[in-house]
Amino acid sequence: MKINKIILSFISAVAILLSTSAVSFAKVVGDKIVLGAAISLTGKYSSNGVHTQNGYNMAVDRINSMGGVKVGGKTYKFEIIYYDDESNPKRAAQLAERLISQDGVEFMLGPYSSGLTKAIAPVTEKYGVPMVEANGASRSLFTKGYKYLFAVLAPANLYLDVAIRTAVELNGGKGVRIAQAFEQDAFSQDVRLGILDAAKETGSEIIIDDKLPKELNDMAATLVKVKQMKPDVLVVSGHTKGALTAIRQIAEMKVDVPMLAMTHCDAAKLSKQHGKNSQYALCASQWHKTLTYKDNFFKDGMTYAADFQKEFGYDPPYQSAESSAALLVFKDAFERANSFDQKKVRDALAATNMQTFYGNIKFAPGGQNVDKPMVLFQVMCDGAGKCENKVVAPLKWASAKLIHPIPKWSDR
Amino acid sequence: MNKNVILYAAILIFGLAAPFVFPAFKVQLSILCVLIVLATTWNIQGGEMGYNTFGNILFYGLGMYLCASVQVGMFFPLAEWTESGGEKTFVHTPTQFFQGMAAGLVVAAVVPTIVAGLIGYAILGLRGHYFAICTLGLGVAAGEISGGIEIIGAGQGFTTPPFPNVGGLEARGEFFYFLSFGALVLTFIAVRAIYSTRFRLILNAIRDNEDKAEAMGIETMKYKIIGWMVSAFFCGLAGGIMGGLVGYIDSTDVAFDGREMGVFMVLMAILGGKGTLWGPVIGATVFHIFKEGFWTFFLGWQYVALGVLIVVIVIYFPEGIMGWLREKYPERFGEVVDEADRKAQVELK
Repeated sequence: MKINKIILSFISAVAILLSTSAVSFAKVVGDKIVLGAAISLTGKYSSNGVHTQNGYNMAVDRINSMGGVKVGGKTYKFEIIYYDDESNPKRAAQLAERLISQDGVEFMLGPYSSGLTKAIAPVTEKYGVPMVEANGASRSLFTKGYKYLFAVLAPANLYLDVAIRTAVELNGGKGVRIAQAFEQDAFSQDVRLGILDAAKETGSEIIIDDKLPKELNDMAATLVKVKQMKPDVLVVSGHTKGALTAIRQIAEMKVDVPMLAMTHCDAAKLSKQHGKNSQYALCASQWHKTLTYKDNFFKDGMTYAADFQKEFGYDPPYQSAESSAALLVFKDAFERANSFDQKKVRDALAATNMQTFYGNIKFAPGGQNVDKPMVLFQVMCDGAGKCENKVVAPLKWASAKLIHPIPKWSDR
Repeated sequence: MNKNVILYAAILIFGLAAPFVFPAFKVQLSILCVLIVLATTWNIQGGEMGYNTFGNILFYGLGMYLCASVQVGMFFPLAEWTESGGEKTFVHTPTQFFQGMAAGLVVAAVVPTIVAGLIGYAILGLRGHYFAICTLGLGVAAGEISGGIEIIGAGQGFTTPPFPNVGGLEARGEFFYFLSFGALVLTFIAVRAIYSTRFRLILNAIRDNEDKAEAMGIETMKYKIIGWMVSAFFCGLAGGIMGGLVGYIDSTDVAFDGREMGVFMVLMAILGGKGTLWGPVIGATVFHIFKEGFWTFFLGWQYVALGVLIVVIVIYFPEGIMGWLREKYPERFGEVVDEADRKAQVELK
């Protein structure tokens, strides 16, 4: 039975390998505060994952270059350990474990998307690791009683609520006929629930209610129905790919609908990628550069956008802005806690009440930000075909008037 | 036989001591146990029986959803638990959690076994590529269907009950480690026992020539179905454990994850050497170590590195690690090599 020897030696090799690789870092090394983050660098969320990472990096550089974080009379600098979660919740949960138990990270930044945040939150909660997340908006994240989870963004069910209410208002207060198509994922499904609530309250009727597969690149079936049934509003949500697919196919099939409401238009760079085809699309956004919030680090939205453009070569989508805001929140909490004790930092986070260039931030007991409304912008193009996103609702921030109904394709 | 005892004792001691010696690696080790279970059970079809199935992920995902559903449903209304806007918060007491988990795991193992029997009856008549493609469809369909069932969370996903507040920080990791290690030991013992009977020979006969096996009077259909049911039992069990370990079930990314787990189980079995008892175990371990290594050192390129690894395996180790060892050191596998005879044969060629 010599084969046993082979297997035995194999097992010992594994044991040696494990023991040599068990290196552990401390969370605060020298003058560095090490934060951990699992980010989707590959997979279906990769483009938004990169927006998130750019947002984090931008804020880290800015805070570090402007004096860092002062705790206990000493100055610390932020540093982030990244892993790639491949847009996969299973992987994300493993990486959170790894960041905490192997890399010794004591403070976490969130991943991209609600689904991945849902997978990570139980882990950070178990270890009592405070996590400030900027990209998990699903309502169910905030009803699980998590104590260490803080989200700088407004919950997902509010994303397109405004759009439905605006449509009803323009319809003279009467209910509208809604067609909707949502990707099968935690975030989009939550947006859907928000629409259902809004429809119920306004007496609107949902005439098409389709589910789209993950990583969708075809929604022709829904659009054929839309052409037939002529709804007043078409709502589509499916992250970046959903927005791109919808615009591409609506233009190809010349689907006429008075109002088109979507999510993730700016992350998809719709106005750049599809130009005039994306005109008139209404988009829910957590942030827009023309909003007039201010802080000491990025000054305001316009300055942030310009700096971001210089650094990364594109206009920042709200995913980047909210990610940058997450670090401002952490910095503020560390300084107020004046300690690296996780419990104290957690309590400081819970008491956050500040304004950043991205918006006001104040957390409800569930962890969601209750002090920042959603905005709605519309893609508007000039005669030369240059398209821009202009805020149309709520009125307080509006920089342009909503164009409604959308002109028919035959008249464009 | 004596040496066998030493070997198994060594593995058992290693397995029992591992979470305390390498506490930081508990999760990876738990996942390794699950991977070994999946590779070992895939090998029953793919290796011993010659039926390349991509459908075992169906049982794994089914087990995952069932275990979590039972664990929640025993104590709370399931629909309210999974409803995303639900304002209520449910918390399992420790007793509820462990009772639910135990019952959930039983259901997670038994129901997929029955499902395997039914589906097997319908499709195990297919052979070769047709069977492979048909089973590929099973996993994909299950993912899409489960993504539309509201009571298990649909596209929202299903958060499994959080681990109750007992023991220290490490309790959860240790619990799931020993659960998965237990499943691994159970699977290994069962499969080893099965392989020592006539059943393995029948599976091999089916692989080598199914028509001839039938002509010999073997009811091939019966054995094929039983074989698949055995796999389903342990896949379901592994799925149930994995669901609790990950803490969040998503229809296509976690449960019916044919793209990753479904392919990995095949790769691991082939890497280690299919048609052997130890091959899948070694294959899964090597694969897991490489995978974790790539994820750490080739961030962003991990799939490229993994792809290169697969190409290397296929080119240089087509028979897997065990096959390669067997060719290199046949005498260690109990094969008698007559050196003179071997030379004579080489010269003849």
